[in-house]
Amino acid sequence: MVSGSLGALQTFFAHAAMRDSTVGSDAEAIAEAERLIVPSLRGMSPADRLDVYREQYWLRHVPSLEEDYPTLSWALGGPAPFRELAIRYLTAVPPRTWDLQRLGEGLPSYVANNAPWQGDLLVSDAARIDWAFMEAFDAADAPPFDVGVLSVAPEDAWPLATIMFHPAVRALTLGHPVHDLRQAVKDGSARDRPAAATTHVVVWRDSACRLQAVAIEQQAFALLSALASGVPLGQACDAIAFTSGDTESAADLGPKVSSWFQRWTASGWVSSVRFAG
Amino acid sequence: MSYRERHEIPDLGIGVGLRRPHVAQVLREKQDLVDWLEIVSENYLADGGIQRSHLEAVREKYRLIPHGVSLSIGGADPLDRRYLARLGSLVHGIGAPWFSDHLCWTGIGGVDVHDLLPMPYTAETLAHVAERVKVVQGELRAPFALENASTYLEFRESTIPEHEFLAELAERADCGILLDVNNVFVSAYNHGFDAKAYIDAIPADRVVQIHLAGHEDKGTYLLDTHSDHVRAEVWDLYRRAVRRCGSVSTLVEWDQSIPAWEVLVAEAEKARVVRAEAVAAATNTEAAWSAGL
Repeated sequence: MVSGSLGALQTFFAHAAMRDSTVGSDAEAIAEAERLIVPSLRGMSPADRLDVYREQYWLRHVPSLEEDYPTLSWALGGPAPFRELAIRYLTAVPPRTWDLQRLGEGLPSYVANNAPWQGDLLVSDAARIDWAFMEAFDAADAPPFDVGVLSVAPEDAWPLATIMFHPAVRALTLGHPVHDLRQAVKDGSARDRPAAATTHVVVWRDSACRLQAVAIEQQAFALLSALASGVPLGQACDAIAFTSGDTESAADLGPKVSSWFQRWTASGWVSSVRFAG
Repeated sequence: MSYRERHEIPDLGIGVGLRRPHVAQVLREKQDLVDWLEIVSENYLADGGIQRSHLEAVREKYRLIPHGVSLSIGGADPLDRRYLARLGSLVHGIGAPWFSDHLCWTGIGGVDVHDLLPMPYTAETLAHVAERVKVVQGELRAPFALENASTYLEFRESTIPEHEFLAELAERADCGILLDVNNVFVSAYNHGFDAKAYIDAIPADRVVQIHLAGHEDKGTYLLDTHSDHVRAEVWDLYRRAVRRCGSVSTLVEWDQSIPAWEVLVAEAEKARVVRAEAVAAATNTEAAWSAGL
């Protein structure tokens, strides 16, 4: 049965190609390579020949991950420590999709849960901001928001309105201003590790297809997060008024919400507004 | 009627592989400097985003041909239907006259190695791949060409030379061939077969496209890096291939140490000259034979 024998051969080959040490360092792998593969005319053993593919595997994947995670690489201390992380990550989480853009999908979770990176909040934040940029890069498109629908909506329809955001919008609460750090890394001006500071960041792809990131105030972030999860506008406003205490009523929030909403639509974050009924 | 005639495969002329560093310049240029562009299919299978927007813009200027690296036609895992559906949308969305991938496998057990891995060439694997090519063509309903990949090892169980395997596969599955003459040269060096004999044995009427690229000499083997100019020996093989196949769409690939756009265009221009000379030489030879008869 071809799929059985072919499958066994390919399983051995793939494991050999993804090893983090040479095929020649493993007696069992050497023996299996000898059984399956012809030695080369120029003195390469079967294990040497398999190693060509193994070298290419790491040469392809580590730089690809590093390109996707510039802030993380900087936070770790540069290419050498990043390579160590990349090898451990790819060994633990081998690629399971043809899409190289998704190669680092599990990296934020991996650094947050595995020593020695676990507990370094800057490293965790850096991984999260880099992945948000990756997601914004090729998230689905959406037609530009038609602001005309707002002018025809009756006043009393607004509390039940739900806001749909562009698929490329990502909202993150971070322990450091790593959106600024990422820009500094890109510019070559990053010097010191930034001080810890709770930061609410939105990453998005603008109408000219440029990736952007900006920090927004806590209340605006809370409202955006509630709306993005499908909560109607009135309910979302009540919730953030409640969490802000006695100093601010839902009515007081009105002008702020209006200004945030204008900014969000101008930035292309909002893709549509749905009115009940 | 030949495969190319049956499927109305056009000669697109001389193209280059579109790579991200060149996109802005390609879009800025007032005059088209190459005839067509090949795109890596996988870069354009997302639902949207920056690459897709580039694709739409470039498509306004150039004929595009999708060239994949993830079909895993030789794999033991089932074909990835989600991948095929997205590929089909791309192929038909850009109106490509054909699409291509490699004679290889890329993963097993759900893991993707992201490399063009070699197959054993046996009667069993030939039947296996031929069936899968038929499925792919049936799903996508567009002409499909398989490319000979560069390889760095051979399996003991192989019983069929690669060129025979590829020719028989194309015949059984009724598909096209993307003849990569640099890959022929690299594999011939690595395995000690005759590159010229390989070119001569490929069914000329099934060749829908030719690839050219540079490679690196690693001492004990050649590595297909796409990182340099096309080597003199590969140009010679290209002349031979054109004399056999005629004016077939030709593409220069350059994927590592990507040069300035002008350097890539100059390499494409060289291919244009070499192709024209080879076609003329083949025509003259044919005329001389006819006159002699």
